[in-house]
This record gives sequence, structure tokens and C-alpha cells, in this order.
Amino acid sequence: MRHGRWRFLAGALIPALVLHVVFVLSPYAQAFYLSLTDWTGVAGEARFVGADNYRRLTEDSLFVDAVRNNALLLVVVPLVTVAIGLFLASMLHLGGRGGRRSVPGAGAYQIIYFFPQLLSLVVVAVLWSFVYNPNTGLLNGALRAVGLGGLAASWLASPSLALPAVMAVLIWSSVGFYVVLFSAAIDGIPHELFEAAVLDGAGGWATFRNVTLPLVRDTVQVAFVYLGIAALDAFAVVQVMTVGPGGPDGATEVIGLSLYRNAFQYGKFGYASAMGVTLFFATLTLAVLALRGGRRSTVEAT
Amino acid sequence: MTLSVSPPRSSPSPPVPEPGGRPARPPRSLRTVPVHLAMLAWAVVTALPLLWAVVSSFKTDDEILNDPWSLPSSPQPGNWARAWTEASIGRYFFNSLVVVGGALALTMLLGSLVAYALARYEFRGNRIIYYTFVAAMFFPVFLALVPLFFVVQQLGLLGTYQGLILVYAAYAVPFTVFFLHAFFRNLPAEVAEAAFLDGCSHGAVFFRVMLPMARPGLVAVGIFNFLGLWNQYLLPLVLNPDPDRYVLAQGLAALSVSQGYRSDWSGLFAGLTIAMLPVLIAYVAFQRHIRAGMTAGAVR
Amino acid sequence: MSPTRRTLIRTALTAGAAVPLLSACVTGGGGGDDPAAGNTGTKSADNPLGVKADAPLEVVIFKGGYGDDYAKHAEALYSQKYAGAKIDHKGLQKVGVALQPRFVANTPPDVVDNTGADRLDIATLVGAKQVSDLTALLDAPAFDDPSKKVRDTLLPGVVEDGTFDKVPRTLNFTYTVWGLWYSKKLFAAKGWAYPKTWDDMLALCATIKAAGIAPWTYQGKYPEYINDPLLSMAAKTGGLALVKAVDNLEPDAWKAPGLVSAAEAFAELAAKGYIMSGSEALSHTEAQAAWCQGKAAFIPCGSWLESEQKGVTPDGFDMVMGAVPSRTTADQLKQTAVQAASSESFLVPAKAKNPAGGMEYLRILFSKQSAKAFAQSAGTLPAVAGATDGLTLSSGLSSVRDAVTAAGPETFTYRFRTWYAPLAKAVDDATGELVNKRITAAQWSDRIQKAADGIAKDSSVQKYTR
Repeated sequence: MRHGRWRFLAGALIPALVLHVVFVLSPYAQAFYLSLTDWTGVAGEARFVGADNYRRLTEDSLFVDAVRNNALLLVVVPLVTVAIGLFLASMLHLGGRGGRRSVPGAGAYQIIYFFPQLLSLVVVAVLWSFVYNPNTGLLNGALRAVGLGGLAASWLASPSLALPAVMAVLIWSSVGFYVVLFSAAIDGIPHELFEAAVLDGAGGWATFRNVTLPLVRDTVQVAFVYLGIAALDAFAVVQVMTVGPGGPDGATEVIGLSLYRNAFQYGKFGYASAMGVTLFFATLTLAVLALRGGRRSTVEAT
Repeated sequence: MTLSVSPPRSSPSPPVPEPGGRPARPPRSLRTVPVHLAMLAWAVVTALPLLWAVVSSFKTDDEILNDPWSLPSSPQPGNWARAWTEASIGRYFFNSLVVVGGALALTMLLGSLVAYALARYEFRGNRIIYYTFVAAMFFPVFLALVPLFFVVQQLGLLGTYQGLILVYAAYAVPFTVFFLHAFFRNLPAEVAEAAFLDGCSHGAVFFRVMLPMARPGLVAVGIFNFLGLWNQYLLPLVLNPDPDRYVLAQGLAALSVSQGYRSDWSGLFAGLTIAMLPVLIAYVAFQRHIRAGMTAGAVR
Repeated sequence: MSPTRRTLIRTALTAGAAVPLLSACVTGGGGGDDPAAGNTGTKSADNPLGVKADAPLEVVIFKGGYGDDYAKHAEALYSQKYAGAKIDHKGLQKVGVALQPRFVANTPPDVVDNTGADRLDIATLVGAKQVSDLTALLDAPAFDDPSKKVRDTLLPGVVEDGTFDKVPRTLNFTYTVWGLWYSKKLFAAKGWAYPKTWDDMLALCATIKAAGIAPWTYQGKYPEYINDPLLSMAAKTGGLALVKAVDNLEPDAWKAPGLVSAAEAFAELAAKGYIMSGSEALSHTEAQAAWCQGKAAFIPCGSWLESEQKGVTPDGFDMVMGAVPSRTTADQLKQTAVQAASSESFLVPAKAKNPAGGMEYLRILFSKQSAKAFAQSAGTLPAVAGATDGLTLSSGLSSVRDAVTAAGPETFTYRFRTWYAPLAKAVDDATGELVNKRITAAQWSDRIQKAADGIAKDSSVQKYTR
């Protein structure tokens, strides 16, 4: 049996590892090295410049804007998405009271909510730039139609509104996935707990706080990690949708966009690689912190 | 990731609120009205832009730009025909099917093997291998593009279906491992032990016993991979230079030519809709499985 | 199940065995072999560039608004002349992403149309010694008029536009003129005359606004569009000296009175509410569509506007382009002076396998015959002189041709956009802020000067002068 075990493990792991090393790790290892060079991206030569690229990052005001915007996205997008997702998921179940009986049409709702997930982010961004158009857009049109014309704005061109407008798109496109995810998690909660809560006279909010939330906590935690990664990216939406792109005047600049511009438009591939490496460590740190933090709190709760 | 999967039953029972003291509630039908409104509102917010894209695919360019919110004055099926033939969406569709189909099969096989081996076997280096895979989810893909091109070229796989399939799979495996790892960990040990006692080999236990038990999770991650691969754009852009082998996403770019030039908006929307339909159909057909998969695995 | 798996494993193991071969990384450096070895023929009067008749030729064309039929037309002429040559034609949208690795690998195509939003940065390519010197092509006899050299058949400025450090590196196929566009029909109906001075412009804007039409709109999502008239106006005030000072990154070049005063003019245009509200968020297609619907009277754009708007222009709209008004009576250039430059850059990669064939292809493409066919199908001026002779031109294209004629020798162009892409980005951002009333003209010039100084000081950026 021992022998078979190792043979099975080798057979299971080696093909995937080879694929991983050849097509994923080796290119990234090269990218790490390139971040220490002045490679232009269009020729076979590069000069080693040490940590120079990393030093430049701190003086690049656009990159600093990008870091600030990504940090804001990182805080707002996961929180709001999870809040809306949890709200809708529990509504799907608690709409008919007495616990987890679903409201009529819950299945249809879950299908519709998932729609945006089916589109690539580029397409989502194209659709929303039509929605945000200040003169013919759906949003201002709707506001004017209900007599709130005073709230109509130039969403993507005002420095204070552009980033929230980007956030709204990211949230819109991801909520559906988390509704389905949370809804599945709630399905997994035993009936008895809800029934007990009802017998105890708990209202909708109390049931949610005391029954639903603690029991879907693990799922919520993973959701934060996924959403965090998405918020640190945001490249496609910003590039297609915003003024400039990344504007007005850096208001929606994100690290991915700075990286793309430097690598492919300015011919500073080494410098762009340094941005990528920085982004990689930021994301990784964050994921580790989130998952570690989550594990500790689970242990404490038990 | 939390590995302590406490069965819900053993969870502390919720704190008990003070009984009574609440005013009588209105009848249920009335109380659910705001709930329905909230859910309906979100449904409208999600469905409207997509419906709009579909409607736009039947309009003329002029109508799309000048009157974006009207219905087409007369439907233009020509947009669809143009997208399908002139922009070769038909051929790209086929290429996408081949590449995504092949990559999906390979990803699922390799991903589930790795996830299972790492989740159910203790050995030195287990964690390191796991994190090696998972860390790859956090790296911006376009930094790897140019070095990746050389790797693929050295292997003589540039612009081939096999090359794209291998690369797609390599980039989809990390997420698959991450997703399925917890899943396999949570499967009961007793069944596998019984199978071993019956004399099954390790491989047979995996393929005959564990894999079927993990089916809900496999379906769920399969759908996510399908969505991701179908919409993949950067990888084929660099690794698939031959227009005859273009995948759908590359074909769509041909319809939305860049700034400074005339764009075929109506053709673009028709192409988008064509690209979206199979994904939509796949989702509607499998959505029960997706939800079942999420319930069982709960992505812990 | 199991055979499939075994096959897969075998494939994967083969890949694994290849890993040591991958030591040739992206920066491994190219081999010493001349890739073009054996691909040259004997030069003759009929074959001035020494093309080897049966050498294959790979052509990569940006397939944008002009399509790529014009390029195929020239390829057909090439095959007629060199019957044994196998031509590999690729029409692409994302030229840069597709070609970048091939340049690094020293296996580029033989001729490239480096155009479109995703083109490769030409200054970077030239700096990396990836682009051939085109002097031999420019000095060769023209394809359909052997009495003239190729360089003498081109419109003024075309050779200079492709010159880096005194060496011609690219040859641009289309000729673009920038100005202000309006509907001749609308202006005739309202009795408005195109303003020659900025004071007249402001006066006319007041009239237009009173008529319930927004005087201006612009492609707000891409602020470089409204940069063009601003920088044109500054060039007229300060003359070519101002343009050169800017391009050469001279100290305080952006604080020149001409530039500050042009910035003040546009700040005033915005302050008086003469720019259609919402313009700042519109893409080029949206802003131009609004203008075609008569919601705004003027829009700044290059000469491609008419063909870009083909599908959405109402009948009888009669769009025409006018030169940017003069700012002062003491301007260095006449009001008729225009900003003009060639674009759609063709280049022959330095490491091409068949560079002689690549240049020969360009000689054919830049013949009067090919250019005329292009002008007819694309509705755009080619960079070849006299290519529109004898053609019936649309209202927009003929206004562009008239503008070029009226300007005579007074055409100018800024090179900093091509040379220093990060500076172009800083200028665009600042101008976007200026016309949205968030910064003043003085702040505008300060900001840009700071960005220009930063580039002048940055030793990692290759500098060019003119």
C-alpha cells in the first residue's frame, strides 16, 4: 500500500506541477528579475539597475494616487458587496417568515442576479459607460424622470464622483455571485435553529444577527478575500470606462492601469514589473492576514 | 482558510431574546411587500443593462448613438449576420469551444487530483506545494505575458490549440485547487477507508469514490472556470497570433476598433450577445448544480 | 479515463523535459546572426532596393477604420512584380501586444503598420535599435515616376515626422490636419461667419448660445482633443520657436506668453459657459454624435472626422474644417497656419528577415497609384502629394485640402507627444482640469512645466531635439 501511495501522489501532483512551473512560475520569476532592470519590453537587452525602479515608485505621484484609490476600493467594495449580498440572500430565505422557507420566485431572482457575472468586465464597463453618460445616460435619465433632476451629475468626470461610480460598477457586477454563494450557505443552516429563533420571538433582524450571520461567517470571510483581489485589480473597468483613462486627473488611477501604461505605452517594462511585484506582495499579505484573522476568531468562538 | 468545519448542529445555540414585549405584527402578506420591492429593485438594476445590450444589437449605429434608450424602429437582424460572418464570429466561436473545452477538461482533471492529494495525504512539502499554487492567484497576469510568450514559443506551441489549452489550464488550476482543497477535506473519511479495505488502489479510490462524492463541488468550480476561460482575453492576444485560430474575445475586439476610427456599435452588440448566449444557457442549465456545489463545499 | 490521463501526463512530462531549454529568457540577448542573410538580391534600375524576388514577405497592418484592403492592393502589385514571393498578410487591431514579443525574440515581420491605440511606443522602439534606417527607400526612385525620388513625392513634413535623431525611421501614410469643425449648412442658415480671431470667436459664441445651441463641445473622455486647438493657438502666437522650445524641453518653455495666453483663452471659453455641459464625460463617438445632431456648433478634431462620422452624419450637414482663430494681432504665424502631421506609421524592423522586401513594399504603397486608391476608399488625405488630383472630394475632405493649400509653408506640429509619452499624459490631464475650471491658466503652465522638467532631468529617458 505504501508503494501505491507514493505512486499515486506522484501521478496526481507532478503533471500539474510541471504545467505550473513551466507556464506560471517561470514567467513570473522572470518578471521578478525584470523589475530590477531597465528593460524596455521591445528588445533583447536589459541593464541591471538594482532597486532603482522601486525607489522611483515612491516619487511617482500617479502611482501614489493609484495606491490611494486601490486602498479605497479595497475598503469599500468588499464591505458593500457583502452587505448587499447578505441582505438579498437572507431576504430570499426569510421573506416568507418562519425561517428558511423561500419567497416565491427566489429561483428566478437568483438567475437574474447572476447575469452580470456572465459578462466579461470589459463588456460590463462598456455597458456602464452608456449608463453614466451625463446627457443621454440611463442614470441621469431616470433621475430626471422621477423629478430628481437636481441629482443628475457628470458621474465619471467629477473628481469626487468618478471613483464611487467605478465602485458601483464593481459592486453591481459581483453582488449576484455572492447572493448565490451566501444563499447556498444559508441553505446549509439546519431548520431547527430558525424555528427555535422564531419560537423565541426573534424578529427578522435578530434572527439574522444571531442565527444567520454566525453560521455563514466562514463563507463571508472567503468572500472578503475574493473581493479584495478584485478590488486591487479593477483594471478593465477603469481602463474602458473612465475619463483619460484613470481620470479626471488621476481620480480613478489604479495600480493595474499605471502598470499597463508604463509597460506597453511608455516602454518601461522593468519599472512596470516593479509595480506588479509590489501589487503581488500587497495582495498576498492581505489574503494571509484575512485568512489568519478569520481562523483566530473561529477558534475563539468555539 | 478555516479548516475547522464545525457541523452546524454543534454550534452554540443563538442567544435567546426576551420573550414577548413586541407589538403584534401585520399579516405576512403585507410584511413581505418591502422585501419583494427590494429584491425586485435589484433584479431590475441587474437585468436592465443586459437587456439593453440585447436590444441594442437590433438597432442601427445611428439609433444607438443618438437615441440609446429607445427600441429599434425596425429590428436589424443584419447586425447579427454581419457579426457572425463578416467578423468571422462563427469560426471564432468554434475555436473558443475547442480551446475552452480542452482546457476545462484538463483543468478539472489536474486541479481535482492536486486538490485531493494535498487535502487527503500528509507528506513533507504538502503546504509548500499548496501555497505555490494558491499564490499564483494573486499575480497580475499581464506581467507574465511577454516571458510566457517565450516559454510557449520555445516549446513550439505558439498559435496552436494545444498551446492555448495547456496555458489556459495552467492559469486555471490554482483557483481550482484553492476551491476544491477544502471540499475534499470535508468529505467523510469512512467511505474512503472502507474502499481501501476492499482492496481499491489509491487511484481507484479517487476516481471511483471521492470524485463522485465531490461532484457538486466539481460542477461549481467547472462553471466558474468555464466563465473565466470563455472570457479570457489577454492570453490568446499574445499566444494566438493566427487570425484563423482567433477565439471569440479576439474576434470581438475586431468589431470594436480603437479610438479615432469608426466603430461598428451594432455589430459589436450583436457579437456580444452571441458571445454571451452560450454562457447564459450553460448557467441556467446548471444553476441548480452550482448552488448545490456551493452548499456542499460552502467554499470554506 | 486512464488513457487520457496517461497521454496528458506524457505531454506534461515532455514539457517538463524542455524546462532546461528555457534558459534563453526574454533578456537572453539576440544571436549574432544577421537575420536578413541570404535575402538580398542584386540592385538594378528596376530593383533599386535589391529585393530577392522569391524571398517571402510578412506584412502586418493595423486594421482600423480604413480597413486593410488598401494594403492588400499594394501587396497584389508586389506579387505582380515578384511572382515568386509568398506574402503573409496579417490585419490586426492590437498591433503592439501581438508584435512586442516578436521584437524581443528578434523575429519581427518585414513591414509593420504601427498604428492604433495599442501600438508600440515608437520612441522606445527606435531607442532599442529595432527600426531600420529608411534613407535608402527615400532616395530610391518613386514606383510610378522614376524621375523623382520617393522623398520628393511626399507632402511637406512627412519625412521629418518619421525622423529620429536625423535618421528617418518611419514613413507615415496618412496626412492629418487639425482644426475646428462646423456645419456649413447650420452656419449659412443662421448667418454666422467662421471667426478669424479669438475675440470674434467669443462674440460669435455669445450669439450661438443665445440661439439655444451650445457653442462648443469636445471629446471630454480624451482631453487631448481639446489640447490641439489650444496648442495650435499658442503656436500661432509664439511661432515655430515656441513649438521647438516645447519639444526640446527647454526651461520655462511652457511658461511662454503664447501658451499661457492660449490657456487663458480656453479657461475663458469654459468660464463663460460656452462648452456644452456634460462634454467633459463624453467619449469621442458620443461628443461627435451630439455635434452632428446640432447640439453644439464647434468641435475640435483632426481631418479623420468626416470618415469617422460617415454613418451618423445627417444628409446635407456639410461639415467643414476651419483653422484655429488667432489670439492676438501680433501673432507670429498667420491665422491660416494649421497643425498638420502625418500618421499611420509604417516601419521596417531592423531584425526583419526581408528588409529589402519591406522597403520595396513601402515604395509600392507610397506610389501615387496606391495612394489615390486609398484616398478614394478611405476619404482621407494620403501623405503622397497630388494623390487627390482629379478626384471629386466630399465637403469635409475638400475643406481640409483647402486648409493645407491656404497654410502653404505655415504648417507645424509638436513632436513631444511621440518623443515623451508621459509628458503628453501630463499635458492632457492638466488641460482637462483647465477646461473644467478646476485650475487656472497659471497653474496649468506650472504643472506642465514641472512634468517637463522632470523628464528633462530623468537620465533614463532618451532625448531628442529638433
